[in-house]
Amino acid sequence: MKLKHSVFTRRQFLNGLLGGWLGALAASFAYPIIKFLFPPTPEPEQVILPLADYSGIPPNSVKTFAWGSKPGFIKKSDDGTLAVFVAVCTHLDCSVAYLADQKKFFCACDEGWYDDNGINIGGPPPKPLRRLVLEEEGANLIIKREKAA
Amino acid sequence: MSIRTISRGVATWFEDRLGLSAIVGFLKEKEVPQNKHTLWTYTGSLILVFFGIQVVTGVMLAFYYKPTLELANKSIGRIMTEVPLGWIIRSVHFWSSTFMIAVVFIHLLSIWIIKSYRKPRELTWMSGVFLLVFTLAFGFTGYLLPWDDLSLAATKVGTDIPRSIPWVGVWATKFLRGGDDISADTLSRFFSFHVSVLPLCLLAVLCFHIFLIQKQGMSFPLGAQEREEGKRVLPFWPNFVLREAIVWLVFLGVLITVAVLLPPSLGKSADLMAPAPEGIKPEWYFLFLFQTLKIFPPKILFMSGDTVAVLVILVGVILFFCLPLIDNKPDRRKGKLITAAAYLFILYAVAMTLWSLLS
Repeated sequence: MKLKHSVFTRRQFLNGLLGGWLGALAASFAYPIIKFLFPPTPEPEQVILPLADYSGIPPNSVKTFAWGSKPGFIKKSDDGTLAVFVAVCTHLDCSVAYLADQKKFFCACDEGWYDDNGINIGGPPPKPLRRLVLEEEGANLIIKREKAA
Repeated sequence: MSIRTISRGVATWFEDRLGLSAIVGFLKEKEVPQNKHTLWTYTGSLILVFFGIQVVTGVMLAFYYKPTLELANKSIGRIMTEVPLGWIIRSVHFWSSTFMIAVVFIHLLSIWIIKSYRKPRELTWMSGVFLLVFTLAFGFTGYLLPWDDLSLAATKVGTDIPRSIPWVGVWATKFLRGGDDISADTLSRFFSFHVSVLPLCLLAVLCFHIFLIQKQGMSFPLGAQEREEGKRVLPFWPNFVLREAIVWLVFLGVLITVAVLLPPSLGKSADLMAPAPEGIKPEWYFLFLFQTLKIFPPKILFMSGDTVAVLVILVGVILFFCLPLIDNKPDRRKGKLITAAAYLFILYAVAMTLWSLLS
């Protein structure tokens, strides 16, 4: 098929070619720059802690450990069972505290409350605290991501 | 409303407030002399391209680099191995500095030989000498930052050289090191020089340098007015800029290729208490000075050889700075001698560099 009139002029075509080529060039420089600016901070597969350091936690209290770059809590309840939480508020990423006298987790940033099972019960948090899986293996505690639901 | 009318409206809005069309008009009227020396006029903008790359990659490296004794070397190791594409960013920063310094040398030697510094362009040359000093200082301070054996040893030697200058030398060495010896303070001081003091100094002088070039226009070769070539010119925009763009792209391609194939190494973290490694040499652009210091005997008359050598180099730099004032009759015999001196200098620098490399 032959068109009666050109859709665009030769100048427009050449300008588009040059502009497109410059754009592609710029993109090829922008790509590594953007890649560079976002380093991978992968969440750990698991964290291994010596059991001896954590066996002496008194009931109704927590001990902190590092879950990658986030704080984690190992919590011993009154009956002696251990539970592990990522100690980060689900609202806006603040680190939470455990208030033993009230048996609640508290986030000071926007006054968010969680009960001692990490369930959000007051304030803005939309979700419960994230729980991790705890296993004892010999002299170590192994903390893993929660299994896929 | 079409996109075209909207963008035209936005352009008019800014134009009414900024009046940038004056600059565009200026660039359209600007002319570049066309003659057998035109090739050298490409070096100026090429330096700017490499400097721009240095700024961008330097800012990026500073995001991850940590100027402390414990972490300097480790953080560069992390950039090279963990940060996505960090190795090529560092490699480009390294090679772009090398290319930039090489083109700076070509730029100034060509101006020396063509004598573009003649009246009224003396200040352009003098500000250019400042830019040269800042550029070399960038290279010197940047060399320490990876904090490996080689960079530590080179910095020890480099910061010790001013000590031989009478009266102010000891003070200068202390100022550079932030104390009597190289320490953690030297590292943070060099980092501060490299990423804030030198960029500010260089940018200020660079603006002055470029302003003068725009104000005075491009220089014609000596005696061109009487000859035919004095009339041949090329419009700066768009003809010359497009030609420059070709040069930029070619060198960009070469730079990236070299950076991919030959990334700089990283030695193990420097130990302040360890003996210096064997065969240390500064970067290639300091080799001719390094070798010059070496050839002086330990004692000359009542002064130490080092003092004489450093004083000779200092006098050389001052003469170099005043070159347009000394070369005040460029088309006479004296002017020809000064051009010959440029070739002699090139010969000397190349010979000394080769000597240093081969010894």
